Amino acid sequence: MTTITSSRVLIGMEIHVELATESKMFATAPNAASPKQYDAEPNTLVDPVVMALPGSLPVVNRRAVSMSMRVGLALNCTIANFTKWDRKNYYYPDLPKGYQISQFDKPLCIDGVIEIGEDQKPVKIIRAHLEEDTGKLGHELPGGEHYDGSLVDLNRAGTPLLEIVSAPDLHSAQDAVAYAREIRDICRYLGVTEGIMQKGHMRFEPNINMIITTDEGATHATPIVEIKNLNSFKAIAGAIEYEATRQVEAWLADGKEMGPNAKSTRGWDDDKQMTVMQREKEDAHDYRFFPDPDLVPLTISQEWINEVNETIPELPASRRLRYQSEYKLSLKDAMALTAEPDLCNFFERCVKQSNNGTESAKWLLNAGAKYANENKCEVNNLGITPQQLAGLIQLRQENKVGSSAADKLFGMLCDSDQTSENVAKENNLLQVTDSGAIDSWVTEAIEAQQQAADDVRSGKNAAIGRLVGEVMKRSGGAADAKTVREKLLQQLQG
Amino acid sequence: MNSITTTRKAIQSGETTAKEVTENCFNLISQEPFNAFHEMWNDEKQAYLEGPLSGITVGVKDNIVTKVGTTTCGSKMLDGYRSPFNATVIDRLIASGATLVGKTNCDEFAMGSSTEHCAWGAVQNPWSTDRVPGGSSGGSAAAVAAGLCHVALGSDTGGSIRQPAALCGIVGYKPTYGLVSRYGLVAFASSLDQIGVFSRCVRDAAITTEVIAGFDPNDATSVEEEAPCLVESLDDSIAGIKIGVTRDFLTDRNDPEVNQAIEDAIKVYEQLGATIVDVSLPLTDVGVSTYYVIAPAEASSNLARYDGIRYGHRTDKVGLDLFDLYSHSRAEGFGDEVKRRILLGTYVLSSGYYDAYYNNALKVRRLISEEYASAFEQCDVILGPTTPTPAFKIGAKSNPISMYLCDVYTANTNIAGICGISIPCGFAKNDGKPLPIGMHLQGPAFSDAKLLQIAHAFEQATDFHNQHPEPIS
Repeated sequence: MTTITSSRVLIGMEIHVELATESKMFATAPNAASPKQYDAEPNTLVDPVVMALPGSLPVVNRRAVSMSMRVGLALNCTIANFTKWDRKNYYYPDLPKGYQISQFDKPLCIDGVIEIGEDQKPVKIIRAHLEEDTGKLGHELPGGEHYDGSLVDLNRAGTPLLEIVSAPDLHSAQDAVAYAREIRDICRYLGVTEGIMQKGHMRFEPNINMIITTDEGATHATPIVEIKNLNSFKAIAGAIEYEATRQVEAWLADGKEMGPNAKSTRGWDDDKQMTVMQREKEDAHDYRFFPDPDLVPLTISQEWINEVNETIPELPASRRLRYQSEYKLSLKDAMALTAEPDLCNFFERCVKQSNNGTESAKWLLNAGAKYANENKCEVNNLGITPQQLAGLIQLRQENKVGSSAADKLFGMLCDSDQTSENVAKENNLLQVTDSGAIDSWVTEAIEAQQQAADDVRSGKNAAIGRLVGEVMKRSGGAADAKTVREKLLQQLQG
Repeated sequence: MNSITTTRKAIQSGETTAKEVTENCFNLISQEPFNAFHEMWNDEKQAYLEGPLSGITVGVKDNIVTKVGTTTCGSKMLDGYRSPFNATVIDRLIASGATLVGKTNCDEFAMGSSTEHCAWGAVQNPWSTDRVPGGSSGGSAAAVAAGLCHVALGSDTGGSIRQPAALCGIVGYKPTYGLVSRYGLVAFASSLDQIGVFSRCVRDAAITTEVIAGFDPNDATSVEEEAPCLVESLDDSIAGIKIGVTRDFLTDRNDPEVNQAIEDAIKVYEQLGATIVDVSLPLTDVGVSTYYVIAPAEASSNLARYDGIRYGHRTDKVGLDLFDLYSHSRAEGFGDEVKRRILLGTYVLSSGYYDAYYNNALKVRRLISEEYASAFEQCDVILGPTTPTPAFKIGAKSNPISMYLCDVYTANTNIAGICGISIPCGFAKNDGKPLPIGMHLQGPAFSDAKLLQIAHAFEQATDFHNQHPEPIS
């Protein structure tokens, strides 16, 4: 009897990204993946090309090509200077032409690499190619009533789709999720998609198999299983963990190993938390790929590549490293700041105004997060401007406002377009450091709180709080608490 | 039927009106016995826009989409299909004032060389009604030959304009690939398809093509250049022009009368001051084989959209699963020739056969282009017969291969993407009835103006184009 001494999982990931162009990949009809069209009624984002009416012809959307180049460059890919379009032929009601226009042997982007996780593990990108999405089949009438037949909605048909294919460089569910998150982050920073998973902006297809080592020292590779159409990180992790166990058990039972015709396709059942068989043999389909004669090959000039390259912003991974080294932020804070491109870009603008990354981060992640939570909005949408935050940081640094007053001021700035200084002044939030004024409040306070004053005189320092509070009350919160405390001690203890 | 120029003069001088000219056409079409037209669009409220083609009547092959009427491609699959948009060529014709008179019959999805494979019946040749008009644009050719309209649009994938033009004794011009937009032409083989014009004289073809040619952003394969001037140079002398003649075209596969007509045509050109140069095109013989790999391959994919889901024929049978819905709808909607080519094309693209067939055909395609390129280093145009024989009898070619060989001289023009024209150059005598013979001129890509100029010079020196079949009563 064979005993398994170890097993490890190998995962290569295919990620489909719907590009948020205005119009479709090969048609002028509006694109369902564009934020403007999220609420479109079924079959309204169509034209003769999308519906594959007789006589219609595809024309390449160059914006989609530019966006794909942007992603390719961000993934450190080489952009092919010659790329072409091929037809993938198969019949399905959501595929109006009876073929999908894709890129078979000359993809737009090749040979990239990105780093994932804290330990910056490299993951190779084999290729990223551009194609068109299919429509959707549904079984629900408008209003949600079940329909016995199939309903075709062509809104999604023709949406530009970038398929990013990684090498099998991922060795755990965590790796796979980290990779998927990184790609999502990158695409969102590049502005090619909002990356809303529930809307299907990104779909993940891990190819999974196991390398099993036995006590005889032999290694065995289980057949590759492709899991189709996952659209959450939880599903990615669940499917991989499930397969890692299932494939070992299957190998023990049937001994089947990787080889030609051994690849199968499975789906993920979210309710049962298991994968289910969809198609036994990958090559059961003969897609009859051939160059699309309606489209001419695309030559991409170095000028175009350079032009696109200039539009690539600093990517989240690099920002996280920089925030830790330059602003001495924790990894946790750096992650929080880079989680959303809008917040991160807002943070960058704040840093630019204040020249203070550490303080800007502190304000946005503390007071900002608190007010955002209260107002149920994003920190970057609170209403406070980078200039106002910079002003606030300066007031605080110059000790012109106290810490609780500064917190109050942050909240007020969210509803004001005045400068921080003006708002602080109008609301009496500026600290009084004028010693004459403070001296007289101190004297008044000692008179008003004689018991506390006596306690302090006799060395019970805890009582000083009541006296400080009294001074603050009289000053309307404007006195600098530290100065007040010093002066009280001086008067009472000499 | 007068030429465009004569008709336009008559309208401008007030001798007649656009309305009178077109009504006369509709009158003839409504009586025509050839089955040239599938439908006629006699619109009482016709606007007669002012323009270079105002009062000019145009027949439209039934595979070019029009908002008016139906577009059926001669197929049961598209019976009654109405397009929500016009082909680019249709928009341009309308803008130039032309009157579109109706849809002309064609072989189903433009697959055929006789217009017998049409769901709406075979079309007859106006010169001899028991013979075919050629195909696949047989309805358009018959309509112009019979004088039912001034000009007609056709599409040419392997000879579908030039071959019927030859068989019907008229001018049939296939422009260089990319010169005329394919947007709205129902695709058969996208890399070979080209819209072109049937007319009774070269000038009419030039005038009409000037209107329809030019860049179209809706067609990625249309060339981004100014529309060519084709009429301006028609009357220029052809003295010194070099005309290539190849023995590869004048073999015993042709009728002796065809070879004789071509020999005579060569003499005409010599008299016009042209120089005759011997060129060699040995790949002529593999053209048809190459064509019948590439064209069906593209067709098998282009015709996949006719699945009965969104439009077109869907089987009446109920309770079918998806696969059977597809197969019954397509089996019922398509005719035999279309099915034959879909099968052929699917086969040559299949895994394991792709390299042997499709990929090799692409290699031969490149060789054919190179062969033309080196021939055109020695001459301006290449002259030969358009077809090996004059019109054959309806039903005579029951073997598909013998039908395919009708395109032996024309298919390579499309394979190389160059321009070609067929013009009348003689008559054969069959059963006492004259049958037209066509001369084929091919020129390099985008040398269309010169091609038409050389064709026009021959036409001016001869009288073949002035002979017409007996008018319908």
